[in-house]
Amino acid sequence: MEDFLREYLPIVIFLGLAIVLGVVLILAAVVLAVRNPDPEKVSAYECGFNAFDDARMKFDVRFYLVSILFIIFDLEIAFLFPWAVAFGDLSMTGFWSMMIFLAVLTVGFAYEWKKGALDWE
Amino acid sequence: MEQIILFAPLVGAILGGFGWKIIGETGAQWLTTSLLFLAAILSWVVFLTFDASAYDNGTYTIDILTFIQSGTLDTSWAIRMDRLTATMLIVITTVSALVHLYSFGYMAHDDNFPDTAYKARFFAYLSFFTFAMLMLVTADNLVQMFFGWEGVGVASYLLIGFYYKKPSANAAAIKAFVVNRVGDFGFALGIFALFYLTGSINFDVIFSEAGDLSTQTITFLWRDWPALEVVAFLLFIGAMGKSAQLLLHTWLPDAMEGPTPVSALIHAATMVTAGVFLVCRMSPIMEFAPTATAFVVFLGATTAFFAATVGLVQNDIKRVIAYSTCSQLGYMFVAAGIGVYSVAMFHLLTHAFFKAMLFLGAGSVIHGMHHEQDMRNYGGLRHKLPYTFWAMMIGTLAITGVGIPLLYIGFPVGFAGFVSKDAIIESAFAAGQGYAFWMLVISALFTSFYSWRLIFLTFYGEPRGDKHTHEHAHESPKVMLAPLAILAVGAIFAGMVFYKPFFGSAKYVGQYFGVPYAAQEHGEDHGDDHGGDDKAKTHYAFAGEPGQGAIYVAPENTTLDDAHSVPVWVKLAPFFAMLLGFVTAWIFYIRKPELPKQLATQQAPLYNFLLNKWYFDELYDAVFVKPAKQIGKFFWKRGDGAVIDGGINGLAMGIIPMLTRLAGRAQSGYVFTYAFAMVIGIAVILTFFTIFGDY
Amino acid sequence: MLSQDLNTILPEIVISLYAMGALLAAVYTVKDKAGPLLVWLTSGLFVAVAFWIGTTGEGATEAFSGMFQDDAFSRFAKVAILLSAAAVLLMSQEYMQKRDLLRFEYPLLIALAVVGMMMMVSAGDLMALYMGLELQSLALYVVASLRRDSVKSTEAGLKYFVLGALSSGLLLYGASLTYGFAGTTTFAGIIEATEDGVSLGLLFGLVFLSAGFAFKVSAAPFHMWTPDVYEGSPTPVTAFFATAPKIAAMALFARVVHDAFGNSISDWQQIVAFLSVVSMFLGAIAAIGQRDIKRLMAYSSIAHMGFALMGLAAGTAFGVQAMLVYLGIYVAMNIGTFAFILSMEKDGMPVTDIHALQMYSKREPLKAVAMLVLLFSLAGVPPMLGFFGKLYVLQAAYGAGLAWLAVAGVIASVIGAFYYLRIVYFMYFGEERDEALDTGSSPVLWAFLVGSAAVMVVGVVNLFGIEPLAEAASLALVN
Repeated sequence: MEDFLREYLPIVIFLGLAIVLGVVLILAAVVLAVRNPDPEKVSAYECGFNAFDDARMKFDVRFYLVSILFIIFDLEIAFLFPWAVAFGDLSMTGFWSMMIFLAVLTVGFAYEWKKGALDWE
Repeated sequence: MEQIILFAPLVGAILGGFGWKIIGETGAQWLTTSLLFLAAILSWVVFLTFDASAYDNGTYTIDILTFIQSGTLDTSWAIRMDRLTATMLIVITTVSALVHLYSFGYMAHDDNFPDTAYKARFFAYLSFFTFAMLMLVTADNLVQMFFGWEGVGVASYLLIGFYYKKPSANAAAIKAFVVNRVGDFGFALGIFALFYLTGSINFDVIFSEAGDLSTQTITFLWRDWPALEVVAFLLFIGAMGKSAQLLLHTWLPDAMEGPTPVSALIHAATMVTAGVFLVCRMSPIMEFAPTATAFVVFLGATTAFFAATVGLVQNDIKRVIAYSTCSQLGYMFVAAGIGVYSVAMFHLLTHAFFKAMLFLGAGSVIHGMHHEQDMRNYGGLRHKLPYTFWAMMIGTLAITGVGIPLLYIGFPVGFAGFVSKDAIIESAFAAGQGYAFWMLVISALFTSFYSWRLIFLTFYGEPRGDKHTHEHAHESPKVMLAPLAILAVGAIFAGMVFYKPFFGSAKYVGQYFGVPYAAQEHGEDHGDDHGGDDKAKTHYAFAGEPGQGAIYVAPENTTLDDAHSVPVWVKLAPFFAMLLGFVTAWIFYIRKPELPKQLATQQAPLYNFLLNKWYFDELYDAVFVKPAKQIGKFFWKRGDGAVIDGGINGLAMGIIPMLTRLAGRAQSGYVFTYAFAMVIGIAVILTFFTIFGDY
Repeated sequence: MLSQDLNTILPEIVISLYAMGALLAAVYTVKDKAGPLLVWLTSGLFVAVAFWIGTTGEGATEAFSGMFQDDAFSRFAKVAILLSAAAVLLMSQEYMQKRDLLRFEYPLLIALAVVGMMMMVSAGDLMALYMGLELQSLALYVVASLRRDSVKSTEAGLKYFVLGALSSGLLLYGASLTYGFAGTTTFAGIIEATEDGVSLGLLFGLVFLSAGFAFKVSAAPFHMWTPDVYEGSPTPVTAFFATAPKIAAMALFARVVHDAFGNSISDWQQIVAFLSVVSMFLGAIAAIGQRDIKRLMAYSSIAHMGFALMGLAAGTAFGVQAMLVYLGIYVAMNIGTFAFILSMEKDGMPVTDIHALQMYSKREPLKAVAMLVLLFSLAGVPPMLGFFGKLYVLQAAYGAGLAWLAVAGVIASVIGAFYYLRIVYFMYFGEERDEALDTGSSPVLWAFLVGSAAVMVVGVVNLFGIEPLAEAASLALVN
């Protein structure tokens, strides 16, 4: 394989570890845990309430809106991390590029705010 | 001027044909006729002032516009003026103008069209025909000629089927069209072959290369042939169709379904002679094709004989003249085949006058007799139709070749047919074509017989047939008689006037046609030829290259010269044949009118054989028409009906809607179906590459 | 260096800034009341930028180390995209306003989509490509479901989004395979890496990339979203889907296969030819069963994309030229046709059933004639312009040795002629009906309809001179 692909080896290792770990934990529960189910135990856990409806019910669309907005800014942070790490080595072009990116996001943020996407009622 | 001659008929046809509602039927008639007269007068001016020596090769061309430019095919639409064209111009425009004029009277009333306008249509067709014919003869290249060739075919079709309410007229029109297609196919193949050989369809190029081509071969059908033999043969097949030569002649008698002026113009004077014109025009090719020209001679002679025999027993006045035309065309082909093209053109010219006159005269009789065409119902009409009688008489004297043999006063003395027909017969003898010579002499006898039979049956004896018709028989109006008078002049004098330029020595002919000639030393004196127009005893022969002059005659072809020094008995033979025919006719129809019937019963098989035109129609019906219909029916019912219609309908009404339903069902509306389709698509492409790709 | 780069992408920057500025301006002031104004402003900007690009651009320039390409090809596509987007925007104004759909975001989303398309056609790198593609797609997902209270419209948006996500996934997978086997994401690098032929891995990458593009141009079998989205979206949005994004996606497709995979024409030629032939036949056959004119136009566009792909499949400069000419003609036809569909109303409500057009010629003879011309042109009946477009691509395919494809194209167009001519039949020989469509329409729609029809007839003279432009564009791409 070409050299540059070898640089991705750590990712593959991490991926393998994550899968192995997940499988191990699940299997450990199956193998080690005591199993003694009763109706209360197997019912859905819902903030301490009893489940009063089917899980596949309609949610208010605003939940999705909030979650999408969250994701957008979440990704923004994901972008900022590597930028921040390499900040010392970056040129002014690199700096201003991020500024423009943030400015564009800010425009979107201002728009959604004014549009009322952040108000619950 | 030439452009005016060419386009005047076209203008007349368009304005008269499409604009008669505006200018009126009479207006259309006057317009077309006067334009034709204009063209005719100009044609005579052109013909008389044309001096072949004034131009290179005796030819000049007038470009009209660019015709076809495609690949190596580069052709202009141009008028090619030389002696051949000039001669054809006067023949076409003169006869056409006279026929237009004649039609004023002939077409004045017509029972076939009680309440539809038809005159403007008729005149427009006539003018259109004239235009197409002029296109043909003025052509500068083969495709332009083919255009005119097909144009006259269309006009002929339209005019034969002019009485489109009559099934027989429609059938005759279709027959003429189809039979001509056979010939045209040969003509087209000939054009293709010439284009293949020379890379051009322009006459100039073809003629200049004719000498080189004579040594080449061409692969045709299953083997190699000498190139020019094939070309000449193919072109002659075209000529056979148009000029109704044997095997392709069957349409001409049926074409008499058309109005009589049409018969005079198209099926006697002009269109049917196009084949002769073609052979003469292509003389540089023909001269290099001895086998093909031998075939031309053979077929021409045979046609002359065949048509003359059939003409002996026909009862329809127009059919007699139609077979006579067929026979005379055979004469012309014999002349063209033996290489005396000027003589062929000579007979073409004189024949146009006397045959048009015979037809118009017959039309006058038919008109006077209320559209009765059967000669058995005529008789004794010479007092009722005196002018027509004299016209027909002059025509008959001309066609049978009445003249004073052996008398020569600078030209032979006799009617037009006498001079030109004898010229052909003498040439045939001089060329050593024994078969052709005897056939033509016998045909001359038959010609004389049936022509006099026509005169005797029509104008002499007792009136026969419907009494009422005979009582009301009347002479035709002046407008119909005037053309007859003009044509009579031509029928009497054309032979004598044009003797020298067309059948003089090679010197005169060469001068007239613009062909180089040279004096030739013969070892001995051939004696006095026709009274001795060349006192100096010098003999001339043509010495041109192909393409020089209107016609090309090979230097070693001295038939024209030899024809003037044939034995005396040869010169007398046609004359005595004519006399014999006349006497026989006189005995049969004046002296002992019961004799023909007796003979017919006595010789029933022969009589029926001739009456049924050698059973050509029946033969063709059995060999070609019926099987063709069978095949057509098979393809119609099985091929088109079952296979094609069935297939298309099945596809359009069965398979496609099924696929549409299938596609509709695939469009389920579920996202997972759509995603599945995408994945399948990828899988198909990948599978394809994995299996068929070379990786 | 940087200023030069910025200068090269100045048109894109201008439109982006305009979109963001207008967004903020409108949301902080009159909101939706600014809709009509923004429509006109945006169209005007599009036309101005198109004029700017068309007249000033020359030569070929790279920006951002080859990520962004400005050449005759991209300029041709950009001008076509901008002009068609402007036309569709203008046509949509009255329709949207009447149905209370004209939010101020609508023209701005279109503007952003257009920026995405301009990025796509200028892409010189797989990442720039993806960025343009997503910018375009995300804006389009939103406008598809612009009519939030309609089940069909939201369904259209959602389907488009879900399937679009799938296609993006395929595209990305292809891009990563390509990167993995070529070692670079720039087109210039990829073409270098494939000088001695493509490896199987790279070929797989090409296949997945092609699948992603095929989805965007709605070529079968990646077309399934098209009819549902066309039907569900508001008609002006459908008109937009049928025009500008198609040009952008086809141009992008052409750029990738020629710029990045120009060394392995025989490989992608098979893929494109496959997509082409399946699209032509599916478009022709499935449309026969449609009664809804918008669905019908969806299948029609699938078939037309099949023809455009035929030009691309030729793999020659002439093929690309044929494709561009075809797209130009296709867009001109579709603008007119959708102008007609937008004017199909009964009592103010939009109608899309083709049976509503029965005997339409009696009530609106001129519009019926214009529509007849357009339908003939769509079917490819000479002497309309559509015929020449088809002739062009058939020539290209035949010239490249794909005679079977050309024959298939002719057969498919014969099948397809049926449903176009059926509409003509309804308009001229149908049965008289009581529930007739409303007569009269807005002057804008009328002008676009009649203008487009006139173009179909007059354009046969010299195709308005787009041939040399398309030729220059194709030569910039293929050499």
